[in-house]
Amino acid sequence: MELGAPGGLSAHFGTGPFEFEPREVRPGLHAMRMIRSDALLEYLSLQLNVRGINRFGPMARAFDALATTAPGIREIITIGKAIWEVKEDRWDVVIADAPPTGQIGSFLRAPLTVEELVPTGRVRAQAELMRETLESEAETKLVLVTLPEELPATETRETLDWLDKEQVVAPPIVLANRVLDELNDAKTPEGPVGEAAELHRSLWAEQQIWLDAVPPHGRLPHLFGLFTPGEVAAHLCDELEALT
Amino acid sequence: MTRTLLVTGAGGVGKTTVAAGMAVHAARAGLRTLVVTVDPARRLATALGLNDLGNEPQPHAHEPNLWAAMLDATATWRAVAERHAEPAVAARLADDEFFQAAAEHFPASQSYAAADQAVTFVQAKAWDLVVVDTPPSGGGIDFFTAPAQMADLVGGRLLWWMTGGPLPGRFLFNMAGRPVLRIADSILGSDLLERVAEFLLDLRTTYHGVARRGREIEKVLRAASILVVTTADPAPVLEAIKFYRELPGVASSPTSVLFNRVLPESWSDARPPRSTSLELSNNLERWAAEAQRQRDTREEFSSRYGAHVATIPWSPVPPTNLDGLASLLAEGRNIPWSQIGILSSSGDMATQ
Repeated sequence: MELGAPGGLSAHFGTGPFEFEPREVRPGLHAMRMIRSDALLEYLSLQLNVRGINRFGPMARAFDALATTAPGIREIITIGKAIWEVKEDRWDVVIADAPPTGQIGSFLRAPLTVEELVPTGRVRAQAELMRETLESEAETKLVLVTLPEELPATETRETLDWLDKEQVVAPPIVLANRVLDELNDAKTPEGPVGEAAELHRSLWAEQQIWLDAVPPHGRLPHLFGLFTPGEVAAHLCDELEALT
Repeated sequence: MTRTLLVTGAGGVGKTTVAAGMAVHAARAGLRTLVVTVDPARRLATALGLNDLGNEPQPHAHEPNLWAAMLDATATWRAVAERHAEPAVAARLADDEFFQAAAEHFPASQSYAAADQAVTFVQAKAWDLVVVDTPPSGGGIDFFTAPAQMADLVGGRLLWWMTGGPLPGRFLFNMAGRPVLRIADSILGSDLLERVAEFLLDLRTTYHGVARRGREIEKVLRAASILVVTTADPAPVLEAIKFYRELPGVASSPTSVLFNRVLPESWSDARPPRSTSLELSNNLERWAAEAQRQRDTREEFSSRYGAHVATIPWSPVPPTNLDGLASLLAEGRNIPWSQIGILSSSGDMATQ
């Protein structure tokens, strides 16, 4: 499930942009893209029995404006769709490519925000259900992917502290990506071979600072010289298998 | 005349470092320079002499021509409200907790606040050069489209259609006459709906001011130089391509694309000497593959989008002081110095 900017996830499969309707991209693997207006119309028709709204008409646009203005509503439409797919029992596992680490806190807190704003009514009941699903360790796992660099590591640290305080989801798993291995040979020959060794050692040393500051549960190696996202995905898949 | 350089690109590619480095060079070339950033890494903020968030530009303690400011979206939002709405409405928009949450929430607001504040600095005519490190929210392009989106939201047919009647005012919502409101009411509940409605109606009173300001902002953005920063990694390159495709329609075409973290091209076909250990020659081989991939990516970008390509080398440790920032940029190639009014990294002033 692609929740963020379109194209980032679908590029890994080479199947063209994903649609709102899930489509099989590999045997047993289905993919979709979150389109908020579609999710809202689906919500209106499934949950509220409101049908026949023209998705380009003023009604849909007005709804979108209301939904984007009321704090939390935009997010719970997105989370709601994800949880609907979970509760429908069509899949064994639903994986969402969620918003970036810096925004994940307010995203996951959205159901609680709505509960605080809306005292009664259908949307409140649904927000409650969403909050419970997110809080349940058996149903929801959060994986924070980070890089061993200053900004991503700092952001991950802050997000971990925030989640620890707010408890909107079980403690997340942290994965560090693009981790370099240590060179044992300490020599620095003349020319490119020495330059490459020096760069590698400096980057490795800098990475250790941030791996110590935010210790990850798992590490994925830096992949050298890969061109397409598809190649990256295939290699990472092997590495993840080795981790588990 | 104040020149404007907008530095844009995906998150995590070193955009802020590049913006700061360009600003240091300009300041050292004698240009009164302001660098505006959003959320710099701590080490970089320290290098720039920035300790607190604040829209007030602070002169650098050791660099005579350099000022720095960190954008504070909440403060800017307050200023926008005060500028465009009558006092009572402005007070509500800025002080009401729900309104604040709503203002922070709707998509264009953060980007609008950033663009508005940046343009305020340009219009102050106090600097020769204003370098803006644009916020990455919404894919970065938001910074350029926000003024139009904002004007559309507060003045468009949409609010008219929802609220009915040309006169802005509170509690004009006619539930019975507006089916959308009846449905919204059943979803959101009338309390929340009413608050959202009040907010939108208050916002609507700012329409003329916001629309006029939007045109001013657009004018400044169209006259600015735009530097797109990326690395050769697939995701930031996709984002950079988006700027090349979409910016010409909403601002001006990007001036250059700057690839950060570039490896020496000489590595691609280098042969390790015979005495080299297997470990080190394998290490060279994998970094050479990376260097090759980077070069192919740059060449494809340049030929496909006719882009002017600048590069700066991969610096393993981010610069932590002004000299470090300056030398990082000085090691770059094809940096568009003329766009910021200096001849080269040696610091000579341009003649024109």
